[in-house]
Amino acid sequence: MDKPITLREELGIAWKIAGIRLRGQMAYRTSFWLQIFGNFFTNFAEVLALFAMFYQFDTLGGWTLGEVALLHGISMIAFSLGDLLTVGMDSVAPQIRSGDFDRVLTRPLGSWMNAATSEFSLRHLGQALQGVLVLGFALTQVEIAWSIDKALLVPVMFISGIALFMALFTIEAIFSFWTVNGVEAINAFTYGGSDLAQFPMHIFGRSLRFIFFWIVPVGFITYYPALYLLEKPDPLGMPDWFVLLGPVITTIFCAVVSWGWNQGIRHYRSTGS
Amino acid sequence: MYLELAKRSFQQQFAYRAATLAGLFTNSVFGVMLSSVYLALYWDKADGVSVAGFTAQQTVTYTWLGQALIMPVVFWGWWLIVDTIRTGTVVMDLLKPMDFFRFWLSRDLGRAAAQVITRGVPTLLIGALLFDLVWPESWQRWAAFLISVPFAVTVSFCLRFMMNLWGFWLLDHRGISSIMLVVSGVFSGHLLPIAWYPAPIRDLLNVLPFRSMLMTPVEIWLGQISIVHGLSLQLFWTTVMIGASYALLQVAERKVVVQGG
Repeated sequence: MDKPITLREELGIAWKIAGIRLRGQMAYRTSFWLQIFGNFFTNFAEVLALFAMFYQFDTLGGWTLGEVALLHGISMIAFSLGDLLTVGMDSVAPQIRSGDFDRVLTRPLGSWMNAATSEFSLRHLGQALQGVLVLGFALTQVEIAWSIDKALLVPVMFISGIALFMALFTIEAIFSFWTVNGVEAINAFTYGGSDLAQFPMHIFGRSLRFIFFWIVPVGFITYYPALYLLEKPDPLGMPDWFVLLGPVITTIFCAVVSWGWNQGIRHYRSTGS
Repeated sequence: MYLELAKRSFQQQFAYRAATLAGLFTNSVFGVMLSSVYLALYWDKADGVSVAGFTAQQTVTYTWLGQALIMPVVFWGWWLIVDTIRTGTVVMDLLKPMDFFRFWLSRDLGRAAAQVITRGVPTLLIGALLFDLVWPESWQRWAAFLISVPFAVTVSFCLRFMMNLWGFWLLDHRGISSIMLVVSGVFSGHLLPIAWYPAPIRDLLNVLPFRSMLMTPVEIWLGQISIVHGLSLQLFWTTVMIGASYALLQVAERKVVVQGG
């Protein structure tokens, strides 16, 4: 099962699997669109709350509607695409309980890729689409003096954001190798993290900031890139180059999660279930 | 007998200790986060200024009451009746010599009572430790609030009961579940205080029954509504929702008979 396979081949197979699952879903066309629509509708509440808050108030921690909408857009896109690419992680816990996880492990890819592609669902595109709309709205409200470094920052920002949320959803699955109790606490970091990243970090108290910068680094995926794009000084007094910390910390975070995943798989095998 | 059912499901709730702690943690993180966001809206306002009837301190109190009541009142994701329909146990429940609606309601009230103790009170205490909250100004208001919570649970139960029966027709509750999320999340005032919405939305939400699930209890706590007004409003909507639930149940029961034949 661990025979050498290049990353390129692995991605190729994962792509093919995703294509097959997608075609499977498209077979029920109405249900497919209903699900995307439902997902869009569900997440509409978040956007509604943003506009209603600014209907009563002019600023949030000194930021305007357009500026906060920029954070919302980035966070929603990163969260929903990260969720989309790791939908299979949700079923790791039930698969372990039912014994189906053994079957997942016998597939040709690495164990993580097998688990992540064990399910695929496009309904999260509803939320991503909403994120794009909010981001588009934000861009009509704020003025960004575009330059090469800012243009380069955009893909880096999205890739590290998506990777971070993929890692967070993986953590939930890692815990389930050991226990089924209390796993919900991770929601405070996944859903809580994406909600938190929709607001400027300086409005939060010291302890929340510590957790969401240095333990679960969601603070880096929207706040510093947004400050850089808007050329706003950081009320927290950190230097400009902090914007570069996002990808670095995300890489470290993903490395730790990937180590944890391998430990989980080893534990799973050694219990012999 | 219904009291016995309530007692059983009350006791059942104390079995899930790890889940309770995890839930308290999550509610608290969200409570701190939302409080910080709301407080940041008031940064450029003078102390004690109220916006659409809410001072900063009242808004933070509203936030923690909302977090404390999430589990007891249940704002989303409750499909126990749909599950019994899928597994077929619903037929047994219908055959039992008791009222189907009261059977579920009494169990739900027992569950809610337990979760007020395990989830509601601790969450509110954590909020009070971390933030400066507003407390009911008289013992009458405390008493009124304690009465308003079971009303809130009952209105929420009726909504969930009807959504479950509806899921019975569609045999799939995923679509309804997103509608339910908006109805109970937004219309109850859980997402934002109803008074903050633009006039047409606010006026609409104020004449719907769903504000009884959260907004009215909060207003009773904060002293924004008179006790008599608040409780009679809830009593009215509770009666209407129970009536609607029975009406829908009657139609549904007829359908079960047809399918069973």
